[in-house]
Amino acid sequence: MARFLIKRLFSATLTLFAVSVLTFLMFFALPRDPVSSICSKNCNPERLERVRDDLGLNDPLISQYAGYMKGIVTGRDLGSAQGGRCDAPCLGWSYVTNEAVSDTIARVLPVTLSIVIPAAILWLLLGVGLGMVSALRRGTWLDRLAIGFSLTGASLQLYFVGAVLLLVFVYNLRLLPVPSYTSLFDNPAKWASGLVLAWVALAFLFSAIYARLSRAQMLETLSEDFVRTARAKGLAKPKVYGRHALRAAITPVVTIAGLDVGGALGGTVITETTFGIQGLGRTAVDAVRAGDLPTIMATVLIAAVFVVLANVLVDLLYAAIDPRVRLR
Amino acid sequence: MSLSPVEGVALDEIESDPDATTPAAKGVVGRSPGQLAWLRLRRDRTAVVSGVLLVFFLLLGLSAPLIEMAYGIGPREQFQNLLDGFGMPLGYAGGVSGEHWFGLEPGLGRDIFIRLIYGLRTSLFIAFAAALITATIGVVLGALAGYLGGWLDAVINWITDLTLAMPFLIIALALTPTITLRFYGERGQVSSAFGVGVLIAVFAIFGWTSTARLVRGQVIALREREFVEAARASGAGLGHMLFRQLLPNIWAPILVSFSLAVPQFITSEAALSFIGVGLSDETPSFGRMIYRSLDFLQTDPAYVFFPGIMIFALVFAFNLFGDALRDALDPKSSR
Amino acid sequence: MRPRVVAAAGGAIALVVALGACSKNTGEGTAVDTDRKQTGVIATDPKDSQGPAAEVSGAVKGGTFTIIRESPISHLDPQRTYSFAGLMTNPLFARYLTTWKDDGKGGLVLVGDLAETPGKNVNNDCKVWEFTVKDGVKFEDGRPITSKEIAYGIARSFDPDLSGGPTYIQEWLADTPQFDTKWDFKKNKTSLPPGLSTPDAKTLRFEFAKPRCDLPFAVSLPTTAPLPADKDTGVDLDKQPFSSGPYKVAKNQVGVQITLDRNTNWDPNTDPVRHQYPDQFVWSFGPTADAANNRVIADNGADQSALAFNTVPASLVAKVAGDAALKSRTILSPTPSANQLVINNQRVTDLKVRQALNYAIDREGFIKAMGGQTVAAPLTTLMPSATIGYKAYDAYPAGANGNLDKAKELLGGKTPELVLGVADNSTEQQQGAQLKANLERAGFKITLRNISDDAKLDEIKKKDNPWDLYIGNWAADWPSGASILPVLYDGRTIKAEGNSNQSYFNDPTINAEMDRIQAMPAADQGPEWAKLDERIMKEHAPVVPLFVDVAYNVHGSKAGGVFISSVFGYPSFVNAYAKP
Repeated sequence: MARFLIKRLFSATLTLFAVSVLTFLMFFALPRDPVSSICSKNCNPERLERVRDDLGLNDPLISQYAGYMKGIVTGRDLGSAQGGRCDAPCLGWSYVTNEAVSDTIARVLPVTLSIVIPAAILWLLLGVGLGMVSALRRGTWLDRLAIGFSLTGASLQLYFVGAVLLLVFVYNLRLLPVPSYTSLFDNPAKWASGLVLAWVALAFLFSAIYARLSRAQMLETLSEDFVRTARAKGLAKPKVYGRHALRAAITPVVTIAGLDVGGALGGTVITETTFGIQGLGRTAVDAVRAGDLPTIMATVLIAAVFVVLANVLVDLLYAAIDPRVRLR
Repeated sequence: MSLSPVEGVALDEIESDPDATTPAAKGVVGRSPGQLAWLRLRRDRTAVVSGVLLVFFLLLGLSAPLIEMAYGIGPREQFQNLLDGFGMPLGYAGGVSGEHWFGLEPGLGRDIFIRLIYGLRTSLFIAFAAALITATIGVVLGALAGYLGGWLDAVINWITDLTLAMPFLIIALALTPTITLRFYGERGQVSSAFGVGVLIAVFAIFGWTSTARLVRGQVIALREREFVEAARASGAGLGHMLFRQLLPNIWAPILVSFSLAVPQFITSEAALSFIGVGLSDETPSFGRMIYRSLDFLQTDPAYVFFPGIMIFALVFAFNLFGDALRDALDPKSSR
Repeated sequence: MRPRVVAAAGGAIALVVALGACSKNTGEGTAVDTDRKQTGVIATDPKDSQGPAAEVSGAVKGGTFTIIRESPISHLDPQRTYSFAGLMTNPLFARYLTTWKDDGKGGLVLVGDLAETPGKNVNNDCKVWEFTVKDGVKFEDGRPITSKEIAYGIARSFDPDLSGGPTYIQEWLADTPQFDTKWDFKKNKTSLPPGLSTPDAKTLRFEFAKPRCDLPFAVSLPTTAPLPADKDTGVDLDKQPFSSGPYKVAKNQVGVQITLDRNTNWDPNTDPVRHQYPDQFVWSFGPTADAANNRVIADNGADQSALAFNTVPASLVAKVAGDAALKSRTILSPTPSANQLVINNQRVTDLKVRQALNYAIDREGFIKAMGGQTVAAPLTTLMPSATIGYKAYDAYPAGANGNLDKAKELLGGKTPELVLGVADNSTEQQQGAQLKANLERAGFKITLRNISDDAKLDEIKKKDNPWDLYIGNWAADWPSGASILPVLYDGRTIKAEGNSNQSYFNDPTINAEMDRIQAMPAADQGPEWAKLDERIMKEHAPVVPLFVDVAYNVHGSKAGGVFISSVFGYPSFVNAYAKP
């Protein structure tokens, strides 16, 4: 177990390192000069050159990368134009937003978490629930309804569903306020009412997939020997389904859920854009548009961390849920 | 940020039952698994309906220039005299008329019907090409990793992890202009084909992981089978082993994952347009149309309706067909 | 079973979307009157510069006025403020040497703000200027504002760390664009830049090497906001500026929300323009332009006293303009922000081609493509109508939709191939598609090239940029021809990058004429600039004037007093109030 974990974490670190190098290289290949966003109407070449020097943009790529990485680990001094000393984990200073990137991240990360985590709970409950019900009531109208629902959900796009939800519930019926983010700790009611549409839209689309998947898995498991054995031993239906079958059927669901949630935490660009909420995803897109390298690096790295961690977590959960899986 | 949630599911649903893909013609007289699947597919009403719908869409897309000739209006022609002072189409339902079947775009006054037909062509082409390329990459890498194992397996696995960890949308957003600049300089006319090519390439780079994982799993399951060992013992080369012994036995899940990848790329193209990547306004595509139309949901719902319903119908048909295909190829799977 | 699901799902979507698609659009009642006349003067009577500002009819005290905007304000630090959102917010917590008394209908008077008058031209040669600071002006901590703090504010604008703001005064004082190397702020924090002095606590004196007749205008920009040296927090001043105006920053959640509370040390009797009606101003950032406008239109709760800072997007215009009940909640006004189809004169050297472009342009179609007359108003002159001394003319009269025959005649059968660079945002993509179709009808061959949205401005400012045509915009910093024509068309200013002269137009006689006008007293220059404007267009056609932006903003039912600034073209808050 411990060896597996160490091995997994080592490969995860290697992945993150590669992501950071690739991102760094990629954005230096951009046809855009990050300095020009600093200069206003009356810019001149000499000024631009001096700013480039100050920012270290004329240093070799390797030393820029090293500087950035060092900042994350130990913090570094960025100079007076960039807010001076920047403590670890220092993600740099953005000239576009005029603040330390770690401040930006601290602001937008809770937003994305607030969108993704409740939505994930909702879509898992809804999806797995629907899948289970339709598997157990196979062939009935309930089953058909669930299949229809899941196929429809899988064929719709978030921006479309989101726009229609907005039009109906916010602008026409005025049942809900325009989506916005309020901290959960400031005002839970406002937090929920501002984000509920995003949750519903995400849950609708994602649960479709989980319904299909868990239905197939459940049917599969129900026909397996150990379930039949359990039934034959005289165990009550709920107990068999609930403990034995569900456990086995849910394993692949966990895999997908882990990856989905990991991916979504890295930024739900489309959701955030559709509902006009500034989270990690929109921040990343804005940063790419503005050539804001420090912010790009930070958002990409955070997204990668979530995906990689989710991968590790899924492997561990796998072992915890399904006794058939043994970690090597 | 994976390409789409569908990806993972396709993989898992298929992977869940590798046995189903072994030569399964037990007890049935003289029919190959392919023939069996075809029979089952033909008997499935859903499959037939969605299949016909798909063929219809394909024909529409392919014959876009012919339709343009018959319809008499080009995708870039503007009819601004049919717009009011705010640039909104005059008349009913966004300017629907005998001349303009689906009405006009607000602002530029271009015909929505003919742009949809051309958009259908673009989107289908991108999706099919991307699905083909990703399937090829995925099959080759997955089969190699699964069959050879060892360090190669570890490396390919790691590259898969890395690809999954790179945020796809952001990188697509960043790379597209750079690539365009490299190829066309600053003044050249960027052809529509190029923009399409870049999109396909971006999809190819990020879309192969699920197929690779799927194939790898299947190959590992087959690796120790008697017929494979027999072939290996008789001294078959790597190419023979992969393409003659292993792949013919796993084409079914690959086909299913391909049929589910196509709609996924159609929606991804739309998603990319939504964050401002992808094709320029000169190339009609579903993505751009949907993206622009959504703003007009309140003022010109018809403009949202036509592209919206079209892309939904297309993706829905693909999903239905993919489902039916899986059922047909895997008799054990549940209906 | 499944086909039935298809039909059901399709039907459901159809129903939702088709709702409301059934009314016929006849195009009636879509004309919008956006005419207004611009007059601008510099106050000669010191009484004009005295407070308090006249009461706004209907205004009440109290409440919270909310402003919703998509992106945060880039800088709050006055010395670094140059964005329009910044320029409109700044007066709430910063006062300057001079300021504009604006009736919101184009009537402008430049008055003294912290200064008793809009400046004294000591020797009548525009080289030496003196400003006398008013009595009773105070900072938020009650300290009196003297010429020392105003001078310190100007001095810190020389600090390269504090970049972003206007640079007129710095460049004029240093007499070089490299002002920050000429005088290093960090090394000379206790002294003042060359040419700037404070003979006494009430007097601020500027001495320039060259005549700077526009100084009274230039000091209306936030560069002249005062700051005590002990309150200078460097780059952190952006988060918490030190107030001299009617409000002060109470809470600043960067990128999310800024809350301004009343500043009790502000004395209305010293201020000729500002009011202090609401208890609070709140800037709220994040919602897209669409979301912000939809929110304000919905008029719920706190949004009733809110304003959407982003103008009504083209996609919502038909809804807002078509709703009579919303009329009282909208502000509609043309702005001084002028847009041209800029011709790169270094590449397109044939005058006939440039003139043909001018004849070919279909302004009506172009404006329709943008969303109609609440988004843009046609323009045929170089300077926008909001300029002092403006005179309307059309050097290439071709009607609202352009004269294709005239253009073809000028081209004489040739097909000039031109590359039009457009930003890859949705607005310019639309404009590009429209221009391409329009100009190709007139016999041009147009290649559209996308430029990355954020990079576009920097790219077209490079002298050797590779495009023949691009859409350019100029919003002057004050409504005088001197801040438009020499900036945009003086060929001697062309440098390698960072050019405002994006047409790279250079003509010695025109340059000389600009020098002549600029040496005249500011008050007499107006008509001369208008004459020059017409002359440049007739003789050289360096650009195709397209349109001025139209500001079309919507506010809640309890918000009032907002008007579109005649100087900057964005909502001004000095008169704003929130009804209970």
